[in-house]
Amino acid sequence: MIRRRHGLLLVAPLGLVLAGFFIAPVLMLVPTSFGEYVPGAGIAKGVWTLENYARIITDDYYREVIWRTLGLGLAVTAACLVLGYPLAYLIARGPERWRVPLILLVIFPMMLNLVVRSFGWIALLANRGLVNNLLMQLGVIATPLKLMFNMTGLMIGLTHIYLPFMVLMLVAAIRNVPRDVEAAAATLGSTRIHVFASVTLPLSAPGILAGSILVFVLTVSALVTPRMLGGPTYKVMATLIYDEYMQLLDWPSGSALSFALTAITLAIIWLSGRVARRWAGQP
Amino acid sequence: MRQMLRYATAIALAGSGIATGARAEELVVGAFGGSFADNVKACHVAAFEKATGATVSLKLGNSSQFAAAVRATGGKPDMDIVYIDNSLAAQIHGEKLAETIDRSKLKNAADVIPSAWGKDDAYVVAMVSATALVYNPKLVKTPPTSWLDIADPAFAGKYAIGDITGTSGLHYFLALNRIKGGTLENVDPGIEAIKPIAKGSVVLYTQADQLLSLFEREEIAIAPWYPDRAGVAMDKGLSLAVAYPKEGAVGILPAVIIPKGTPRTALALQFLDQILSAEGQGCFSERAYIGAVNTKVKLSDKVAKIVPNGESLQQAWFIDPEVIARNSAGWTRRWQREVAR
Repeated sequence: MIRRRHGLLLVAPLGLVLAGFFIAPVLMLVPTSFGEYVPGAGIAKGVWTLENYARIITDDYYREVIWRTLGLGLAVTAACLVLGYPLAYLIARGPERWRVPLILLVIFPMMLNLVVRSFGWIALLANRGLVNNLLMQLGVIATPLKLMFNMTGLMIGLTHIYLPFMVLMLVAAIRNVPRDVEAAAATLGSTRIHVFASVTLPLSAPGILAGSILVFVLTVSALVTPRMLGGPTYKVMATLIYDEYMQLLDWPSGSALSFALTAITLAIIWLSGRVARRWAGQP
Repeated sequence: MRQMLRYATAIALAGSGIATGARAEELVVGAFGGSFADNVKACHVAAFEKATGATVSLKLGNSSQFAAAVRATGGKPDMDIVYIDNSLAAQIHGEKLAETIDRSKLKNAADVIPSAWGKDDAYVVAMVSATALVYNPKLVKTPPTSWLDIADPAFAGKYAIGDITGTSGLHYFLALNRIKGGTLENVDPGIEAIKPIAKGSVVLYTQADQLLSLFEREEIAIAPWYPDRAGVAMDKGLSLAVAYPKEGAVGILPAVIIPKGTPRTALALQFLDQILSAEGQGCFSERAYIGAVNTKVKLSDKVAKIVPNGESLQQAWFIDPEVIARNSAGWTRRWQREVAR
């Protein structure tokens, strides 16, 4: 066991970096989020208001964007889990010689810049993109399918980009499930499906939880891909916050929205942690 | 170990000393990217570096990014002189973050049209362009004459308009609003009129050059766009033509500001002098298809056909940048909620 003092020393470097370059700037935004922005004149001096927070709740446009962001986060997480679990299972339990090539295949897309990958999806999904052109030439459809600037485009792009994170988390978790326990369940007469559902799956819950939290947080805070595939008509919270800051120059409103996003995300992480612990049979 | 540390510190100090020594002669210029930056280098930077011996480093971005950067670094700017749209220049002036430009220090100030000077001399307009109609003459046989032609059923599914966060999107919206009887105080008619047009637009473009591929693949035949971008695209072989609507194009006035607090005001003013000089202006006009503010500049016929000048310039609508600065956030919010939703 690492002693408490040593533990503190071990996290100190990261802690200091986080405190200096993350927590301090974020705290500096707190006063801004209670400020008032006067177009043409800037942030009013000495004015304090709750307006920026109140608007997030009262304005149905903001509410729509928040629900959309959370829905997207959950949908992408679920898609990554469904697509990633079988793959992770194969990597963890499949033939030894497949493991390295498969992991490389999973990691490979991450070596490409995010912008390039998102741009690739534009080339595929645009009105005259590869997918639509192919379908039209085959005579399957007459007018291009709308694959961009909506939920479809964002789901496809984000699932592709965040799948590796989920798979890598799951591989580690599934490998940690002791084969003895599975073997014990099998000798007691469980079918293979039952062993998987009642032993392997619950025991890999920590991995599922970690992967899901990672993918969820990355999805709801993603900026580049939603900007490129969602465009100006299909906004999520990150793109909305970017616009408030960079286009409208309304920093108070942007800061309030950022804190709302952080609070919502933390609440969901806390909640899912509790649910997952219960499922894995821990108090 | 201690010795090594001392040695490292000495090197670091010496290094930073050399670095600041070099920076004293380096002017940081905020400019728009793409061909704009190339033209800035060719027409403004090269002559300035030759004349002063200073070096220029370009920081690329768009107008609202620059406005955000000037505010974030308030008083200690990381740019010495910035190209910026005049409405955002007015915004920066409203936040009292722009240095007053001392005309007496500029050799070329007298040749510049008086209307180019911004309120309190906080900024100066450096070039004249417009949002006009750009079309593909291979697909459009009779040139469009009105902003309303975009909504012509003949162009259904064959046009694109800009998002309001881009200049052309804002301008088209305001032009339509004015035709439909709206004013800058009341944009309800414009919102109503543009809703169906935005719905039918192939895309709401956010980057000017997004239209290049759309025109090239003949996905669109017409769009409210910039004559300067169209001119450059035509030089590259694209089939395009510019039409100035009879209701008047909407003027675009890229301006220049010197952010308050820069230690290199004198050098920045020298750079500004180069921007405003007849050579600097003429060079930029010919390369970028953009109108000049220096009265001594003579445009070639090729450029005069495309840039706003003569009648098209007189008819153009130059919207008060202060009004845009005050209202654009509100208009954008309405657009997000009622048009682009």
